[in-house]
Amino acid sequence: MAPADRALEMRKAIGAAMSRSKREIPHYYLSETIPMARAAAWLARANEERPVTARLLMGVLQLKAVAHALGQVPQLNGFWRDGGFQPGKGVHIGVAIALRQGGLIAPALLDVANKDLDQLMRELTDLVRRARAGSLRSSEMSDPTITVTNLGEQGSEAVYGVIYPPQVALVGFGRMVVRPWIEDGQPCASPLVTASLAADHRASDGHSGARFLTELRERLQQPEDL
Amino acid sequence: MNDTDIKSRVIAIIQSIAPEVEADALRADQPLRRQVDLDSMDWLNVLLGVHEQLQVDIPEADYGRLVTLDDFVAYLRAKLGTRA
Repeated sequence: MAPADRALEMRKAIGAAMSRSKREIPHYYLSETIPMARAAAWLARANEERPVTARLLMGVLQLKAVAHALGQVPQLNGFWRDGGFQPGKGVHIGVAIALRQGGLIAPALLDVANKDLDQLMRELTDLVRRARAGSLRSSEMSDPTITVTNLGEQGSEAVYGVIYPPQVALVGFGRMVVRPWIEDGQPCASPLVTASLAADHRASDGHSGARFLTELRERLQQPEDL
Repeated sequence: MNDTDIKSRVIAIIQSIAPEVEADALRADQPLRRQVDLDSMDWLNVLLGVHEQLQVDIPEADYGRLVTLDDFVAYLRAKLGTRA
């Protein structure tokens, strides 16, 4: 298929999935500002000792923190099928990857909760490479039990996602910004990230959604445990 | 390797990651990552390319010194110079 046709096909596929999502899924949205000073300092120290071939990205810490937080709020991890919630077997995170020719794709990073950061980094690198080369397996598209979108360093400050059916939640990370923050009663300049949750109200409610974001925030304050 | 050589090697590495980039359209004195859409994974891949092709390992602490293409070339020239 010519690149232009592929791009058109992809737009149609995204359009169909997102239309279905907005038609069928009663979304609710929550967001939380997460101080990232500890995670950034931990990462800088970890990468100091690593050659460029083994360096970690903040996105990997965020994915692992999402997986851990989902352990506490499992009703966000899984599928809405046949009128009921079906919990995911393991946390398989669909990682939204923007493609250079336009469009995006969200293949699964499998079993995120049980892998260490180095392994996740290797697998994420491989996943992004294969997504851009167009060599993903079809099972990788159907495996995800939740999606994470990370707008990264060139992105916006916050993103409120559209859930990819039949999943029941999408977590978004905005660009890290340095802003005034109060830490122990004292103002300081702190790197901050806005994390958001779009979730299916048929499967969960705002109370559990808020617990998830709180849990996520706390996990990112203890990067050494990720 | 002179500046022109280093610059064309760096551009070739960027193009291997972002094929849509046209060398002539790049402003060497303007922030690179604003002209070329490079996310953090792309950026890491650029550095991996530099590591593989020029055998220069750029520590994360130096990322802030690589804002423009001119910065990048000057940085690599200094690194390659010290080794030779």
